[in-house]
Amino acid sequence: MNFGWRLVAIGTLVAGLFGILVLRLWYLQVTEVEASLEVAFEQRIRVVEIEAPRGDIFDNKGKELLAGTVATLRVVVDRKLIAFEEEEFLIQNLSALLAIPASEIRREFETRGPGGRFPLGDQITQSTGISVLENIEDFPGVTIEPVPFRIYPLLETAAHIVGYVGSPNDDDLERTDIDINDQVGKFGIEGSYDRLLRGTPGQIIYRVNAKGEILGVLEERPPKPGGSVITTIDLDVQRFVEDTLISGVLLARQEETARREEEQSARREEEQSIFRGAAVVIDVTDGSIIAMASVPAFDPSIFSDGRLSQDEWQGLAEKAVFNNFAIQGLFPPGSSFKVIVNALARQRRISPVLEAEYEEIVDQVADPTAFFSDGELLFPNTPPLNDWKDGGHGLVDLSESLAQSVNSYYWSIALRIWRQRDVDWPENLLQDFARRLSFGHRTGIDLPFEQPGLVPDREWFQFNQQNQTGLVRKEGGWSGGDLMNIATGQGALSVTPLQMAVAYAALVNGGTVWEPRVVDSVRDAENNLLFTNVPSAADKIDFRPGLVDELKADLNRVVNSETGTAKKAFEGFCDDDVPDDECAALQEVGGKTGTAEIRQATDRVEAIDTAWFVGAAPLSDPRWVVAVVIDQGGSGGRVAAPTARRIFQFLMGENPDPVRAGSESER
Amino acid sequence: MSQTISAQVQLRPQIERSRPDFVMIGIIAVLTALGLLMILSTSGPRLEAEGSVRASQMIRQSTFVVLGVVTFFLATILSDRQWRLLTPWVYAVTLALLALVLGIGELIGGAQRWIPLGLFNLQPSEVAKPAVILGLAALLAGAVEGQVKWSRIFKAFALVGVPAILIFLQPDLGTMLVFGFVTVVMLFAAGTDVRQIVILGLVAIAALIIAIEADLLAEYQVDRLTGFLSPGEQTLSINYNQIQSQIAIGGGGMFGQGLFEGTQTNLAFVPAQTTDFIFTAVAEQLGFAGAATVIALYSVLVLRLLIIASTARDRFGRLVASGMAAMIAFHVFVNIGMTVGLLPVTGLPLPFLSFGGSFYISTLFGLGVAHSIWIHRSRIPLGAVPGRAV
Repeated sequence: MNFGWRLVAIGTLVAGLFGILVLRLWYLQVTEVEASLEVAFEQRIRVVEIEAPRGDIFDNKGKELLAGTVATLRVVVDRKLIAFEEEEFLIQNLSALLAIPASEIRREFETRGPGGRFPLGDQITQSTGISVLENIEDFPGVTIEPVPFRIYPLLETAAHIVGYVGSPNDDDLERTDIDINDQVGKFGIEGSYDRLLRGTPGQIIYRVNAKGEILGVLEERPPKPGGSVITTIDLDVQRFVEDTLISGVLLARQEETARREEEQSARREEEQSIFRGAAVVIDVTDGSIIAMASVPAFDPSIFSDGRLSQDEWQGLAEKAVFNNFAIQGLFPPGSSFKVIVNALARQRRISPVLEAEYEEIVDQVADPTAFFSDGELLFPNTPPLNDWKDGGHGLVDLSESLAQSVNSYYWSIALRIWRQRDVDWPENLLQDFARRLSFGHRTGIDLPFEQPGLVPDREWFQFNQQNQTGLVRKEGGWSGGDLMNIATGQGALSVTPLQMAVAYAALVNGGTVWEPRVVDSVRDAENNLLFTNVPSAADKIDFRPGLVDELKADLNRVVNSETGTAKKAFEGFCDDDVPDDECAALQEVGGKTGTAEIRQATDRVEAIDTAWFVGAAPLSDPRWVVAVVIDQGGSGGRVAAPTARRIFQFLMGENPDPVRAGSESER
Repeated sequence: MSQTISAQVQLRPQIERSRPDFVMIGIIAVLTALGLLMILSTSGPRLEAEGSVRASQMIRQSTFVVLGVVTFFLATILSDRQWRLLTPWVYAVTLALLALVLGIGELIGGAQRWIPLGLFNLQPSEVAKPAVILGLAALLAGAVEGQVKWSRIFKAFALVGVPAILIFLQPDLGTMLVFGFVTVVMLFAAGTDVRQIVILGLVAIAALIIAIEADLLAEYQVDRLTGFLSPGEQTLSINYNQIQSQIAIGGGGMFGQGLFEGTQTNLAFVPAQTTDFIFTAVAEQLGFAGAATVIALYSVLVLRLLIIASTARDRFGRLVASGMAAMIAFHVFVNIGMTVGLLPVTGLPLPFLSFGGSFYISTLFGLGVAHSIWIHRSRIPLGAVPGRAV
């Protein structure tokens, strides 16, 4: 044999080419075998996620359902099983079946993406489902399945606490447990406890061929239902508080109308009253929220089917129905804040600065807390300040200053703090005390979107002045006048109703500042505890012995002494045939009115004061603190106190009277 | 040196002259059997699901095998000299068939390639492959080693060009590439100067660029040629096929998933499993070991053909065997290169394994002629007498 060099060359070329093939095969089959096997396995299976039933939300007894999940029969579209050419045909058929415009279905197809699997339209009847299955050739890629649907049986009741679910936004989608088709908790407990409520979705893993046709089930993992939430909400109280709050807000509007008629000030057309208020009932022994109401409210089920239009949502949002004013509403506290100053004055034994002309009169009573109010406060370097009562309140001590809500008294306390700053105490003595009582920062309640509020001080003032935020005056520094404003709950000080409730609770329970909670525990389907929300104290203030009792007595004087600003509102607290001085329950209630001045009126909204009442009961062994705020309510004693009084009557087992106007109280 | 070799040849017993090439026949038998098995394993589940007989496609291929074996022995019976005389007729019949397919060919898959014959559809472009090899061998046999004139080269191009143009009209890009490769190899084997081949190569590249620029190629042909350059784009169905093929081959691993066990091919992820992508099934089911063995078998077959070329008694036989070696090697390289994602999808079948009658029968025809050359080989190898023209 003689190949000749040309045949050898041909053989070598072929050997080289075949060698390349063998090397490539080695790479594919030996070096990269793991990757190939993985890809091969993944494309032979199809994973269908089964939504886990969302956990229920119950009242504090675990009996009444606030939010639940029911299975509704739905048309489920699986785009993976639909050939592209069939899609338009399917959309037309679905449009006819579900009475939804084809354009809307097409949009839904686009949002869910090419591989999307999603329910379409509302709940369908059994017979509709059967007719779809009988004509399945007209509905390629469609199945009829029970799909979990969120219901809120109590409608608007406790809506702001329970919250609602909705389609995930971009932030939600960054969570690994959220899929584009999922419903995600957006607000209230639904939002803050979403992870526990949503459970773990199940999976069915199908074996499929290249066309995506299902050949069999490889693995089936049932979904794990979400945990059930037991709240701290007492539904009886909640319902009562909501009704009462609405009555209170209505009273405010009636009062406003009456006042306008009296003043004969023709109400301008475009001027509008706002219908807003909030109330909180907190358990002072552990920080549990027994009831929390916000007006106006909404029905959370409007979100469940995901069909609320942008316009409808916008309309509701403009009415602020989605705001929980109890934790999101920021209001100046007005005189209801005097209780905090009163407690601080007792704790640090701060006496008011006296006007020179009254020093002699005051000295006669030999009481370091004594003060003389002539209706006008005149100090060097300060503009004249007026008490809300013409002619002044006369000779008062610390207790009487609270009962009558004597502004000049608290200004003088603030002035004392200011004058002795950096000598007897730090400049921020009052602010620091307020912050310990939960003001100026979030209380840590287990609900989303809580507002921190603001306790102004020199640092805050200078920051805003330097950055020209427009929140503070351009000239001059932080002054004693600013501190005096805080002492009467005015100025830049802003608080939420919940913060007021937490602070009062700490004052009457002996100093424990609770981190408030609306959820007690979360249990799984077998009733095992998944999570216990143990009451936790954010702070513990050591009060001087006797301070709490003195304070409670002062709070009682507000509602139960002849001079008290809420005396009229609490008249007839017991049944009609029981006079007030024989009414035991009235001895057990105390509180403070507040009328926060709104200085800036706009074209559309008249400047009407914010009405407050914050109180506690029973005083001998405090259990509840009730905070009521009515936006544009006017006088606290006239509107907020009667509202709170009715809530206290309910809590203490008295027959609740209708909400009727109390007396015009402090300014 | 030539005397030593002549002496060795002379030592061989006389009987060897007529002994068949059992290695070649054995390789053809083994690969054909493997092909039938693979066709059964890849088509069986689908046919069963359709309610047909599981083995129906395999049985159909078996009839082609019978026809192929008959063709092989008929080709072997005639001597190489007789085949040389018949070559003009073979060539003429091929041209006639190619013209006929343009006339009455059934429109299948966008390409007019088949003549329905009742028993099977004849693909004249497959018949043209051995016919062109025979024609080129007859033409180039008269050339002198190292002194092939340009005029003869142009004649060779004309000889290939006429059927190539008819095929291009069908169109069948793969067969054109086979013609190109086989022509170059045979010109080289015929003693064409390397410089001439380099010049031809440059001209060919220029022609291809002009063809693409001038839109002479259909869009899908350009896609096929360029699609594999961007393997990530699954949207191109061309690439989908190749990616699925690579996944399936990778899943075979070292020893494969076992006969009839290939999940990817059985679940129809790999398209054209019984034709263009039959090697994917081999590699998935029998693994690297099986796939490499198949390539080794082809290597030995090509080697046998080169040995036949080297022992042929004249330049015609030498060139026919070289041409067949080139054709088999090119088909194997391009087909497997396609399944492993190294080369674009051109639709060239894998010899003996791919389902289809025309190519199987025409391959066995060409190998039958080569076998005839082996039977009638020279006792004194051609190369031992340099420069001798026959």
